[in-house]
Amino acid sequence: MMMLNWSIALIPLLPLLAALWIAIGFIFGWNRHEKGEKETAVVSLYAIGISFLLVIGLDVAAVSGVLPTEVRLGTWLSSGRYHINIGFLFDTLSLTMATLVGFITLIVTKFSIDYLHREAGFQRFFMMLSVFNAAMLLIVLASNAALTFIAWELAGVSSFLLIAYSWHRDVATGNAVRAFVSNRMGDAGFILAIAFSFFWLGTVEWSEMPIMIKENNISTLYVGVIILGFMTAAFAKSAQFPFSAWITRALEGPTPSSAVFYGSLMVHAGVYLLLRLAPLLSVEPALLIIIMLVGIITAAYGYVVGLVQTDVKSSFMFSTLAQVGLMLVWIGNGWFTLSLIHLVLHAIWRAYQFLHAPSFLQHAQQPARPVPQWLHRDTWLYNAALHRFWLDGISDWLLTKPTHALAHEAQLFDEQVIDRLTGIQSHANMLSTLSCWEAQQANKVALVDEIGKGNGIFGAFMQVAAAAMHWFEEKLVLRGSGEGLLTLLNYLGKYLENIDKLLMQPRYLLVLIMVTIVIIL
Amino acid sequence: MNFHSLVILLLLPLMGAAIVVVLPRHNTSLIRNTAITTSSLVLLFSIYLIISGDIAPQVAGLWASYTKVWNTRLGTSFALGVDGLSYPMVMLTALLVWVAVLASKGITKQPKGYYLLMLVLETAILGVFMARDWALFYIFWESTLIPLFLLIDRWGGKGRQTAALNFFLYTMGGSVFMLLSLLVLFDATSVHSFAFSAIAEGVSHLDASKQTLIFLGLLLGFGVKMPIFPLHGWLPLAHVEAPSPVSILLSGILLKMGAYGVILAVVMLPEAAKNMQVVLAALGLIAISYGGLLAWRQSDMKKMIAYSSVAHMGVVLLGISTLNRNGLTGAIYQMVAHGFVAGALFMLIGLLYERTHTRNINDYGSLLKATPKFAFFIIIAFIATVGLPGTAGFIAELHVMIGGFERWGWVMLLLSFGVLVTAAYGVRTIKCLFTGPVKAPMQNVPDLRPSEVFAASILISGILFFGFYPNLILDSISPSVDGFMQAVGKH
Repeated sequence: MMMLNWSIALIPLLPLLAALWIAIGFIFGWNRHEKGEKETAVVSLYAIGISFLLVIGLDVAAVSGVLPTEVRLGTWLSSGRYHINIGFLFDTLSLTMATLVGFITLIVTKFSIDYLHREAGFQRFFMMLSVFNAAMLLIVLASNAALTFIAWELAGVSSFLLIAYSWHRDVATGNAVRAFVSNRMGDAGFILAIAFSFFWLGTVEWSEMPIMIKENNISTLYVGVIILGFMTAAFAKSAQFPFSAWITRALEGPTPSSAVFYGSLMVHAGVYLLLRLAPLLSVEPALLIIIMLVGIITAAYGYVVGLVQTDVKSSFMFSTLAQVGLMLVWIGNGWFTLSLIHLVLHAIWRAYQFLHAPSFLQHAQQPARPVPQWLHRDTWLYNAALHRFWLDGISDWLLTKPTHALAHEAQLFDEQVIDRLTGIQSHANMLSTLSCWEAQQANKVALVDEIGKGNGIFGAFMQVAAAAMHWFEEKLVLRGSGEGLLTLLNYLGKYLENIDKLLMQPRYLLVLIMVTIVIIL
Repeated sequence: MNFHSLVILLLLPLMGAAIVVVLPRHNTSLIRNTAITTSSLVLLFSIYLIISGDIAPQVAGLWASYTKVWNTRLGTSFALGVDGLSYPMVMLTALLVWVAVLASKGITKQPKGYYLLMLVLETAILGVFMARDWALFYIFWESTLIPLFLLIDRWGGKGRQTAALNFFLYTMGGSVFMLLSLLVLFDATSVHSFAFSAIAEGVSHLDASKQTLIFLGLLLGFGVKMPIFPLHGWLPLAHVEAPSPVSILLSGILLKMGAYGVILAVVMLPEAAKNMQVVLAALGLIAISYGGLLAWRQSDMKKMIAYSSVAHMGVVLLGISTLNRNGLTGAIYQMVAHGFVAGALFMLIGLLYERTHTRNINDYGSLLKATPKFAFFIIIAFIATVGLPGTAGFIAELHVMIGGFERWGWVMLLLSFGVLVTAAYGVRTIKCLFTGPVKAPMQNVPDLRPSEVFAASILISGILFFGFYPNLILDSISPSVDGFMQAVGKH
């Protein structure tokens, strides 16, 4: 049993450790440059290779019936009545997906070794790819929503980093941010769904959730809210309408990465999540209709826009969208198995196509078909398809612009009110840049003597109080008592000296003696 | 002849001074080495006394004592003794004099007289902390004045004459009132003696109002030294004008003499202390804000540290004013902590001044590159001034805070205000000294020499050690604090 547990944990861990190993190697410099490519490639290839073999082993065990459907390795955290376990699921869905993921990532990793030969970011790419491999394996194997979410985010981050692979290009980094932010919208739904599951169901284990609903007679409204959260996450990850815009931008990454992310694996993660929720979906039929509608719209969108694309990768992308939309339609009809079969077949086919994409034009014998006549006649639709239905523009107008405006106002408030009250200077009284220094040399800026100068309300108060105390100190304590005492003594001394002088004169001496005698008598 | 160990400790520096007298005038290094040896011996001997068990720490009452009647008709005796309050001060004195002598390499003018006076001063200070007879106490108290006056007057800065005279007049003025009070006290005793115990006995027959008057006289005398606001007029001037090693002693130990005296007075005159409690607390709180804000306003670094000393001694006064266990413990701890912090700051700033010849903060900048060792020690010293956890000042301020809260409640927020102001000028100074634009004259400042690093690291590690392991001091002073609490009548 121990042996089994270990090998299960190793499936997602191995690629992760490979990534860690590459990172450490890069920091200490033993696998840098071209001479380190071989080691890097071997480490990541062997890691995913062994993981894949382990998955195959589990498949065999499952078929022969010795594998439990769920294995719990321990508790990650527990607080009050909330527990998050570290566990793995081994039902048909998980094992199918894991086999698929292992197979495709293995092939893509193998492909990348030659494809990225002598690229500057070779090590970086394989590190990210290994993280992604681990994340995908964990998404499909994790036994609860929290663990799935961790992997979900890990996949998001590695895709962000891979899209921005050529980070010195503005387009790449801009697109990476765009893709990541769009995905985060879905993540908000995921987090909410996890929180609500904890709150209403008391569990986030995939297998316990339907049981809890049945046992505790949870209202369908609550279940609906939870599923809606997961659905948002699934739609965003699978680039369903209206989240479709990010996926074409994500093509900026190197070919192998677009193959795994968008062609075959990550885009299907959303479908996997919906399939995983299948037992819950039957509770609320209205949600199935939503899924179906979204699927239909996306399929239509992908089809129409795909017709007018002029480059290979974009055409593949939109046809992928259409296919994933169809999978959602099957789910909406309750045909979960069909959807899974569609997913597997499509993933393999699409992975092949994407890896093939760079040399596709050479292999294609005939030129691309022209835009069909019906689309040609409908100018509006044609225009809309060319502009991909303005999804980017709409989201800019709906989300980016208001956020920008709000941020601008908040900053204004911060600068005008808060900074003045707290006294944080917008520009530090220092020469922080070379241009500052040059300006100072040219006497354009001067450093302010800031001794005893306060900023903000508190600073102003301190300044006033200190000034008052300084006055007191100068006038009374130092000059009044210290120096004042000296002046007084000097003055008295002179006075006494004069008396002394007078007394030295005989006539006053005589008077003094006489006075003394008079007093004594 | 069998000398008592306390007598040996007291006379060691004087013997060193006697040797310095007969040394040739021009052999600076020989004189300096003699002084260093003497002060090291004193320091080692004070530690040895603890280790050997000659004085028994962690007991209530006196750890060791020696009495020899001097003049029966006057009722004076040569009575020495140390307890949980005074022995930490004795050790602090030994340590800081040693540091000051080590840091005196820059003194080239008349070294013979300088080191002679330093050693005489050490005996006088040790005498103040060891005396168990008010007459003897007064003699030692006054005899610290003469070497100090000469040290400031002859080896000080530009305004040294004014500063020395000012210092002398202030302290003498206070001493007059102290002497008056002591004579009244002597008058009240039945046994005709100046011994601490006899006078404490006699005081208990006095009524509260008379006690208060006597207390006021003592407070004036000790308050000038401590200094208590508004009797601190001598302090900024003297600290600025004194040569840096003397500044170390002034702020490191001389101020503690004042605080030590106030604690003695409070324990001796509990009724009066209770009457004056509010006044003491108010004076302490005023000193904290006043010293802090004025320190914040200074661009002269020595002046800034001088005013920060006013604020820190305000914390001591506040701790005393609570008349409870935590407050008094905090006050004593702060005396030790401030000895280390002020000693370290004056030493480091003094050494910096020797190299740059400016004390204006604005002239400095970007020293981090040129003098990393300076930066390391000065930054820790300033952090300790703020009383950050992990430094000795924190333990002290925390005790005073707790004690003050027990007695005065939310008024203690003012203490927090003082801490905040301290942080303001502490961080500001670090920033001005070490960061900022590169200034050409600051690029070739030589860093600390090995002997200076040694001295500085002793003080800095003391600050950190007593910040992380306060029990060493807390355990040894706690029986004495209990004794004081019994005398004050509060448990």
